[in-house]
Parts: sequence; C-alpha cells; structure tokens
Amino acid sequence: MPPGGYFGKALLVDLSAGSSRSESIEESVLRSYVGGVGLGAWLMHSYCPARIDPVDPRAPLMFVFSPMVGTPLTTSAKFAVVAKSPLTGRLTDALASSHFAIAGKLTGHDAIVLRGACREPSVVVIDRDSVRTEPAPDLWGLPAAQAEARLRDRHGPAWRVAAIGPAGERGVRYATISHDGRHAGRGGLGAVMGSKWCKAILVRAGTKVGSADPAGVLAAARELRKRSFGAATAKYRELGTMANLLAFNAISTLPTRNFSAARFEGAPALGAEEIADLRHLARNSCASCSIGCEHIYRGPGGTQARMEYENVFALGPLCGVSDADAVIAASSRCDELGLDTISTGGTIAWAMECVEKGLIDAPWLRFGNPEALLRAIEQIGAREGLGRLLALGTRAASQEVGRGSEAFAPHVKGLELPGYEPRTLQAMALGLAVNARGADHNRSGAYEADLSGAHDRLMGGEAHVAGAIETENRAAVMDSLILCKFLRGVFAEGGRDPLAEWARLLKLVTGWDVDADELATTARRIVLAKRLFNLREGWTREEDWLPDRFLSESLKLESGRTATLTATRLEAMISAYYRERGLDEAGVPDPETVGKLSLHGLMGSEQIGAKVG
Amino acid sequence: MAQAGAIVLAGGKSSRMGSPKAALEWHGSTLLRRVTGIVARSVDGPVVVVSAAGQALPALDGEVEVVADEREGRGPLQGLAAGLAAIGDRVDVAYVSSTDVPLLHPVFVRRVVGALEDTVDVVLPEIGGFRQPLSAAYRIDLLSTVEELIAADRMRPAFLFERSRVLHMSEDDLLEDVALARLDPALASVSNLNERADYERAHALPAPEIPVEMFGPLATRSGTRRQIVPAWSLGAAAAGVHVALDEHVVAALNGDKITRDPELPLVSGDTVAFMVADAGG
Repeated sequence: MPPGGYFGKALLVDLSAGSSRSESIEESVLRSYVGGVGLGAWLMHSYCPARIDPVDPRAPLMFVFSPMVGTPLTTSAKFAVVAKSPLTGRLTDALASSHFAIAGKLTGHDAIVLRGACREPSVVVIDRDSVRTEPAPDLWGLPAAQAEARLRDRHGPAWRVAAIGPAGERGVRYATISHDGRHAGRGGLGAVMGSKWCKAILVRAGTKVGSADPAGVLAAARELRKRSFGAATAKYRELGTMANLLAFNAISTLPTRNFSAARFEGAPALGAEEIADLRHLARNSCASCSIGCEHIYRGPGGTQARMEYENVFALGPLCGVSDADAVIAASSRCDELGLDTISTGGTIAWAMECVEKGLIDAPWLRFGNPEALLRAIEQIGAREGLGRLLALGTRAASQEVGRGSEAFAPHVKGLELPGYEPRTLQAMALGLAVNARGADHNRSGAYEADLSGAHDRLMGGEAHVAGAIETENRAAVMDSLILCKFLRGVFAEGGRDPLAEWARLLKLVTGWDVDADELATTARRIVLAKRLFNLREGWTREEDWLPDRFLSESLKLESGRTATLTATRLEAMISAYYRERGLDEAGVPDPETVGKLSLHGLMGSEQIGAKVG
Repeated sequence: MAQAGAIVLAGGKSSRMGSPKAALEWHGSTLLRRVTGIVARSVDGPVVVVSAAGQALPALDGEVEVVADEREGRGPLQGLAAGLAAIGDRVDVAYVSSTDVPLLHPVFVRRVVGALEDTVDVVLPEIGGFRQPLSAAYRIDLLSTVEELIAADRMRPAFLFERSRVLHMSEDDLLEDVALARLDPALASVSNLNERADYERAHALPAPEIPVEMFGPLATRSGTRRQIVPAWSLGAAAAGVHVALDEHVVAALNGDKITRDPELPLVSGDTVAFMVADAGG
C-alpha cells in the first residue's frame, strides 16, 4: 500500500517496441526524493544510460508528478519534465502547471518514462496502464497549441495533451514542451521529445489518489488559499512578473544588449506599469491556482501573448529592443514555434554582438532592430540560414564561431542566463554558476538573498554563499513537492519557517512523520543527486563558472559605485559553497556527505544505468 | 583610494547643549544614528563609534561597532586613538567625525577621504577660517604618533598636525569637486551644533527634497510612479508616498543599497525606489 499522495509506481513506455510496463518505486525512495525534480533526479540515475546522447532514442524523457498533485492545495497542479538536456549535456528538469499534471498522475503513476522512439510522427496515448501510439503526420509542423486543440477535438475533452511545436520537431536545442498554453521551457526537452518522433502525449484521469488525512488536507488547503490572496502574492496578481522589469532597471540588474549593460534606456516602453493600461487584456490562472499570475497582453494584428518578465527581458532589453509590439509578437511566435524565450533571446543577443564585432556576417541582425529579432526567430524555428547556427544555443554556436565569441556567450553549462545580472547580484552569480541545470533562476533563487538587503549585493562573500544555499535548498523542496514558488512569500511571511510549513503539508498528504529537519536533509540530498548525475555524465569543476564577460567587465551603478565580480571572488564563493555542501575541492560529495544523505546508491559506476533495458 | 572606514566620536560632555548630543532627536531618529548612517554610506569599510565609558547610546544600525574610551574627557586625540586602534587592522584610512553634524553629506566625506594620497597623512579641511579636525581623514599609521602625544600629555590636535604630512583643503579646494559644489555648496557638512539654539535652528531647516519612484503594485495603487517628497530618512520618504515599510516592501537607495531601514538617513541628491520584496520570477 503506497503512502498517501502516491501510487508507488512508474509507467515505463518503450516507444520502439510499442510496449509498456509499470515498475514499483519503493516508499523509501519516495520519502527520500518526494516527487517532481527530486524524484526525477533519482529516476534519471536509474533509467538513463550513462553518457548517452540526449537525443539517442534510448535516452529517457520523463514526466514526473508529486504527492501534492490531485489535492486541493493551491498551485499543486504541477509536474516536472526531466531528461538529459541536448543544450547542456547535463540534467534538465522543467516544471509546468496545467491540467496535464492532474490527468497524468491519475493515470495511476508517479512518473511516466518514455524511452525509444516512434517510427514516424506519432502521438502517445496513455489511459491508465494502456499505452498506444497513433501516427499523426497531420499534426507534424503545427504549433503545439493547435496540435493540442485538434487532439482534444479528436479524442474528447477529458484528454490532456502535452505537445511540441515545429522547433522540437526540428531539434532546436532549446525547444519546449507545451500544454494549456504553459511550457516546460528550459533545456531543450522539446528536442528530446521530437527526437522520439513524438508530437504529443495524451493522458486521461482514470483513477483517484488518496491522502493520509483528507480532512486535514482540506482544512490546510482552505487556509493556504486564503493566505494566497494576501500581500505576499500581490505582485503576481496585479501585474505579474512583468513588474520586475522597471524595478530591475532601477537597480542595475536588467541585462541589456547581451549583458554589456544592466540598465536599458528603452525599459519604460516595456514596463507593465507603463503599458498595462493600453495593452493588458486578461488575467488567468493555472489549474488549481488561486494566485492568477498570467497576464495576457495585446500585440500587433490581433495577436496575444502571456507576458512574463523573462520573455520580455530576453526578447526586449537583452536584444536592445524597446518596441512593445515587437516583443509581444516575438514572444507569441516563440510560443507557436515551441522555443524557450530565454535561450532564444540570449542566443540572438549573442549573435547581434557577434555581428557588431564582425564575427558573423549578417548585417541585418542589429541590436535594437525589431524586424531583425522576428526574422532571427523564424530562422531558428525553421533551422534555416543563420538559424542553423543559432538553433545550437550560445555555447555550441560560439565554439563554432570562435574568435573570442565564447567570452560573451551568455551561458552556464550551455544554458543561457535568465534576467538577473550577476555582477550586481553576487549571490545569484554563485547560484547561476553552481546549479546543476546551468544558468537558472528557478532552481537557484539566490537573487532573493541579494534583494533582501541582508548583504551588500555587489560584494560577494560568505553571506552570499549562505543565501545561495538556503534559496537553492528551498527551491529543491518546493520543486519536489511541487508547489508554485510564487507562494514562497506566503510560507515565509510573519516569521514562519517554510520548511516546517511544507513538512506539515507533506505529513497531511502522506502520513509520514516528516518535520522541517528531515526536509532540510531532503533538500540537500536532491541538490547533490542532480550534481551526481552530472558527474556521471562527465561534469568537472570548470563547468561551475561564469562567462569571461562577467569577470572582466565592470558595471557602473547610478550611485557611482562600480560592480565588479572578479574570478578570485567567484572562485572563493564556489569553494565555500563546496565546503558547505560537503563537497571536496573537485566538487564531488565527500564520503561523510554521501553517508549523511544516503547517496551511496547514486555513487560509483556500478550503479550507472542499472535499470536500463 | 585606500580602503576607508569611519570613526564617530560620541563621548563629549555636551555641556553647552544641556543634554547628550548623541541622543538628540532628529526627525524620527537621533543625531548619532544619522551621522553614523551617513558615514556608513560614504566609506567602504567599518564604522566605529567611540563612546565614553558607561555612556548610554541611542540605537544604532547593527553593523556599527562601538568602543568605549576608558579615559574620557581628555579630548579628541584620546577618542581618535581609541577609534584608530579599533579600526586599524581593517582599513588604511579613517574619516573622523563628531556626532553633531546632521547636515553632513556623503560627497563631503568622499571628497576628503579621496584626497588622501600616498604622500599625505591627514586631509584637513579649513572652512570659515577654522581647521576642522573632526571632519577630516587620518591615515591609520598615525596611531603610534597619537599614542606618543597622549603619553606626553600633548592632547591638542595641532600637535598631531605638527608631526604629520597634512593636506590643508580650503573651501575652494573642496568645492572643486563638482558633486560637492552641487549638493553641499555652503559646506554645511561641517556645521556643528554646540548650543540648544544651534540645534533648534538646524532642526527647523526644511528636509531634503527626495525623488521617490515606485514600482509594481506600489505604483499602480498610488496612481503615480514618481513623486518628490521632503524626507530626512527612508521612513519619512515611505510615509510621504503612503508606503508601509513592512516585510513585503524593500527600498533601493540611489539604485544601489537594498534596505527597509526606516532610519536610513537621506540627503539632498538621493533617490529612493520602493518595490515589492518578492522580487524575481
């Protein structure tokens, strides 16, 4: 009998063989890794052959659920998509929110693992333990949303669909997987799905999942929902993450023109505070969410797009574009093609600088040119012209272009940087450098520490290391439970201990006698389980680093101060991070840490790919 | 510029003022809190307050250090020695201030500290015909000289200047700095308060006009993004735009320091941005 919130099994689908089977997951594993990104990391250790090409048919693509999915807890309708990233060659785990999470879990599984590949463009239909593939040549080439709509027309509204767009089909290394207009965005999961000739996966709820204390869960859900309407989530409700843009500009943390500056003179033309009156159309919520952070904006020609800080930063200031019409159109087009907006903007911005420096012969591609931005996106989605190069992402593209372009390629481990300037957010600089997924703001929320006022954000040191670790640990728990991070302020307000709050919820759902200390240990275990996967795949300490630009160019703030992040300072923070995490100088967990966190099963080559086949 | 700290001498008798200057009210704060806050904004190193033994001090920012001068009443050299000894192993130079200069401006401190070159031990402003030893910068290496003078009971700062390489800065010299000329043209930074009437005159001065910008929901709720409000402190600026400085709000001073300290002193030329604390995506 599995604990509340779980089915205690994963569905293993072999697309090449056209077969499937369920495999049990021991309760000790569930308790150790919880769900979402944590359980995903453990499953990757178990089911991903070592050193495999991410787009090899044998490489797994996993949809991983969590114990909270299916409960009435607000923001719990989330799931993780986990694979080896074609962009980074390391672990990637993207979260998304939609009804797909609920329907997928209620097939009766805590995870769905796709391996092998279809023989032709197909969709995978999962109805409890029954799995079949259907040819879908008519869907190939369609935007994900259109494919999803056709499939739900064809199969019925009870079916939930996760699909890829043309970019995933063509193997763009930062292609997304989409559903309900939401995206598992980072790391190229759409390309992994495309490599399996899988246009979409359909799931339908066929069973129920219980909680250990249903009345307690219901009461907690009511209380949490009430708290979710408070001041801690006001920003998301009222303006969404777009509210970051002008604030970040004011404090020199808005990456501009490929990170050559941190303030953008065109920012007011893109700020929600300035344009919402004219362009804001609607506010939506994800499934099972009481916050409602989605803000829909009107673009040119009747287009609409869900605008968030990250897509506006990446397709606006990062490319020097201040034309709101162009940014909305670019964002909308990325959604249609199935492109991660951060990597798309980062790659185009890098290419614009290459053109400026005479390293790429594409005179049309200039900073600030909205037509050039849209043209580049089309080429990337089609993998045509310059798009063939840019579809590789900045790391591989800069290696191809060479001539110093690697120094300003804005990536860590191959993943393009999000909209947080590391020189003026130096805890975040560390978080970006050491995170397993690469340059990432969701698995490392160290910017929270920088923007708390608790330390000088320009002078990275011990306090920044502690802040980076604490926020990384909290993210590991939230992303495994899974609860939306936009609730994080709710769990911390009034001096509450978030870990104790999460432990209380997990106990109500599962019945485990879990407390804050156990979740703190779980967080550390999950962070290192991801690191161990990367180690297995060939990671070395040199990958925990930032591009040269950030270590050789300073930024001037409005106050007159200069923000400088030296290699020596970054090195010192990384070493301190390793010590605090129980890693040796090479970044490998030491024996004591392995013992404390029960990571033995993930260490050493004898365990590698043990369950493959 | 060498790594700089600051020393604030708080242990005087305040006999003409009639009550301890350090604790005098200053628009919701205190004189000492304001002066320590301003010098903290001006230097990159630590701030040390030298108090008299057993002296009760008003609340200070948690990062400000306090040392007690066990031999009180022997004048500024004694306090200087205590401050240099406390700060000396961490900085090369210290800006030394009295407590009673509420109009002190960070650009004045930076101008004085910035003038201390390798060939100089003391940067000594001379304003209104008077040397300003308690608005001056001192090289930390002077500690041994100061101790020798104290041991010889030569307690006047003039004796220290005789044995030091002093850069005298006139008003014109100081005001060559464009920022200082713009923000403190009358050099009110050195205006000290000796008597009750001095304090009352200074206290009645209008507060600096501070441009305040609001972001996110704070802007949409107020109906405006920018206002100019008179404010001696961050708390006053927040009150001026009806923002509660609670756990859901942070402020950025001059696009740099992130804080929600209501007693953070503000000066002319400052800008303040209020934003929601849940920054990020």
